[in-house]
Amino acid sequence: MANLVPVAKTTGANRIVPTISIPYPLGDPKTPEEEQWKLRYSRVGDALDALETEIEDQKVFQVS
Amino acid sequence: MDKKAVVYINQFFGQIGGEEAADHPPEIQEGAVGAAQALAAGFEGKISHTVICGDNFMSSNQEEAVSRILEMLEDIDFDIFFAGPAFQAGRYGNACGAVGKAVKEEFEVPVISSMNEENPGVDIFKKDIYIFPGGRSGAKMQEDAGKMARFGNKILKEEGPFPADEEGFFKRGIRHQYFRPDEKPAAERAVEMLLKKMKGEEYTSELPIPEVDRVEIAPAIKDLSQVKVALVSSGGIVPIDNPDRIQSASATRWGKYSISGMDRLDNRSSQGFKTIHAGYDPAAADDDPNRVVPVDALRKYESEGRIGELHDYFYVTVGTGTTVGEAARMGREIAQDLKDAGVQAVILTST
Amino acid sequence: MKLELGNFNVKEIEFGEKTAYQKGKLTINKTEALNVVYEDDHIIDADLKIVKPGDRVRLVPVKEAIEPRYRQGGGPVFPGVTGELLQAGKGQTKALKDMSVLVVGKHWGGFQDGLIDMAGEGAKYTYFSRLKNVVLVADTDEEFEKREQQKKNRALRWAGMRLAEYLGRTVKELEPEEVEKFELPPIADRVCELEDLPGVVLVLQPQSQMEEDGYNDLSYGWDTNHMLPTLMHPNEVLDGAMISGSFMPCSSKWSTYDFQNFPLIRKLYQEHGETLNFLGIIMSNLNVSLEEKERSAQFVAQIASTLGAEGAIVAEEGYGNPDADYTACLVALEDAGIDTVGVSNEATGRDGTSQPLVAMDPKADALVSTGNVSELIELPPMETVIGELEALGRDGLSGGWEDDEELGPSVREDGSIIMENNAMFCGDGVTGWSTKTMKEF
Repeated sequence: MANLVPVAKTTGANRIVPTISIPYPLGDPKTPEEEQWKLRYSRVGDALDALETEIEDQKVFQVS
Repeated sequence: MDKKAVVYINQFFGQIGGEEAADHPPEIQEGAVGAAQALAAGFEGKISHTVICGDNFMSSNQEEAVSRILEMLEDIDFDIFFAGPAFQAGRYGNACGAVGKAVKEEFEVPVISSMNEENPGVDIFKKDIYIFPGGRSGAKMQEDAGKMARFGNKILKEEGPFPADEEGFFKRGIRHQYFRPDEKPAAERAVEMLLKKMKGEEYTSELPIPEVDRVEIAPAIKDLSQVKVALVSSGGIVPIDNPDRIQSASATRWGKYSISGMDRLDNRSSQGFKTIHAGYDPAAADDDPNRVVPVDALRKYESEGRIGELHDYFYVTVGTGTTVGEAARMGREIAQDLKDAGVQAVILTST
Repeated sequence: MKLELGNFNVKEIEFGEKTAYQKGKLTINKTEALNVVYEDDHIIDADLKIVKPGDRVRLVPVKEAIEPRYRQGGGPVFPGVTGELLQAGKGQTKALKDMSVLVVGKHWGGFQDGLIDMAGEGAKYTYFSRLKNVVLVADTDEEFEKREQQKKNRALRWAGMRLAEYLGRTVKELEPEEVEKFELPPIADRVCELEDLPGVVLVLQPQSQMEEDGYNDLSYGWDTNHMLPTLMHPNEVLDGAMISGSFMPCSSKWSTYDFQNFPLIRKLYQEHGETLNFLGIIMSNLNVSLEEKERSAQFVAQIASTLGAEGAIVAEEGYGNPDADYTACLVALEDAGIDTVGVSNEATGRDGTSQPLVAMDPKADALVSTGNVSELIELPPMETVIGELEALGRDGLSGGWEDDEELGPSVREDGSIIMENNAMFCGDGVTGWSTKTMKEF
């Protein structure tokens, strides 16, 4: 899970889920706590889905 | 030389502030501001303007930032664009590359930067702009800026061609034919190369096969509810006392920390966990480490049966400045530990 | 097998009363020479010109280049092609050096035809600007391919060979000015000294991409598409066993002159007995189907291994899908424990950023690169054009075009041209001439 997706790709990561920023990948401190939790829970869920997905090539997964 | 340059630098080198000013939006000032003066020293033309932007603003709002900068440059008459030097700073290197590439495409001027070879910006942008190999830190400012300025002078005064191996910039993946000044024919070159190769002597291939850095794709997990999942991070989240003394940059150590019985990571002010990563503003991570290592989210998924089990430990190192070689070694070691613990899937977060 | 090449250094060529060679001067009776050309009544309109290095002349569309030779004792210079089959590579063959016969279309060019400038900035792009050339410019009645991009150029190429043999006969009775000896004993007989020297094979991949007859390189008149890799003696290649085809985009082409003079073969001969043991030539090919490519690579590696080769040089006549054969052979040889060096050109595009070879493998770690087929070349008008300049843009030459949104037409009104290196006649000198390499910029 990374913000700089091209960097992740260059290192060879195969399953990539984008995060929202570098200092706070999964929770923007400027938003209410409830919203941060929702985002975090959702993105981690996307990552779990990605783990269960067969891929042929490096893939950047859509976030839900 | 009657030519004008515009320079791009970040908030630190633009004398706006340090990490706390990383959200500074893009601005443009006249003349050579801050570190742009190092370029002015070697550049034979004039530095007409300096563009300054916070590294975080750029990385969180790249499209917006770049478009604002292009707009600022619309009415400025300039012949060449310098970005950096960015040394080993990943966000700064990425910024130099993104801005440089856009400026080159929009204004069709030569763009020159400098980055340490470990800077991820090199691989991403070397095809788009000239990037010279640079030092690891600002200590090399004079040297790195000097190289950039000298090449800038050359490219504005001379015809070219400018072969990468003679000028010194990172190979851009642009190959053209070239008449050898020594006129040595291919037949001689081929036989000489073969004789050297058969004797085990060194030779240089005229066509280096580009290395594609790929990782073998692991097969998907069929059913996560049967599986032990672990968290790994390069975000530098460690217990409050950093027991393993993991370095804040250029790390060579990794740590493994217990989350047994924890629903979430306690934050710094509760004497729980903090970040020691020197490459980003620590405030958000210190305030809530789950933003970087999402223990709370995985605990929830564990209680729901989405995953079989969350491993009792999470693994961490610091990404900034860490060499590819060290990172690869640490990765191998962590992987072994995970395998020994029966972990089958990992969520790796990075900052 | 021992071959003696008896060389005559041609210093001057002119038309005159009697076709003869004397002390460096080659005189040609034009009418008689043209009668030789007209022996094939498919040729309907022919002329001969003489050009030398420095002449302000542009030749296009150039289809072939041949060195005039005479086979001592009679017999065809190109066995199986211009006459009966016989063993090439032994005895004495005489050669007129420093010159070639060039075959140029009076009108119609094609994908495989090219351009030569004898002077100016464009001269450096081809070896043939350094030679004195007898130029056959002719038109044929081969209607079926007149407007085709892909031409067999049969009548013209065979006329060129007839002309080359006709000119070669001028030295039939004469003592050569210098003699070059090419001798390699049978491999199994090679003296003990040689056994310490590494055995090297030269693997050649002549183009054989077409299924239909008439386009591919020929070996003793046999289509190389219908061949499996075969052990050949280097003397055979130097002595007329191979002739060029009519298919490959021109800068990648190995003309018949290239085969007759093969610099890589000559260089290996030079090193034989000193630094290496030149085992021989593995004549492979460049077929299109994947299985055929794999089969050829397999045979190449097997023959090289069976011979006990320690090193191999692989040369590819082409780019694009033939890169797959090139890489496959290099890999198969490396996997067999044989050190390889490859020689080919690249296709990195006009902007230089495309992948150099269509198929690549890290095991191919020693490569000589002789040029970029896509390199843009712009040249000023030339005072005289032999052939037809329009052909460059009109007839689908691989390096020319009718019109381009950015660059305009290849052939401009004032006679200046913009083209890709692709159409420079044998420009990439893969047989070993090339003084070009590829660099990162």
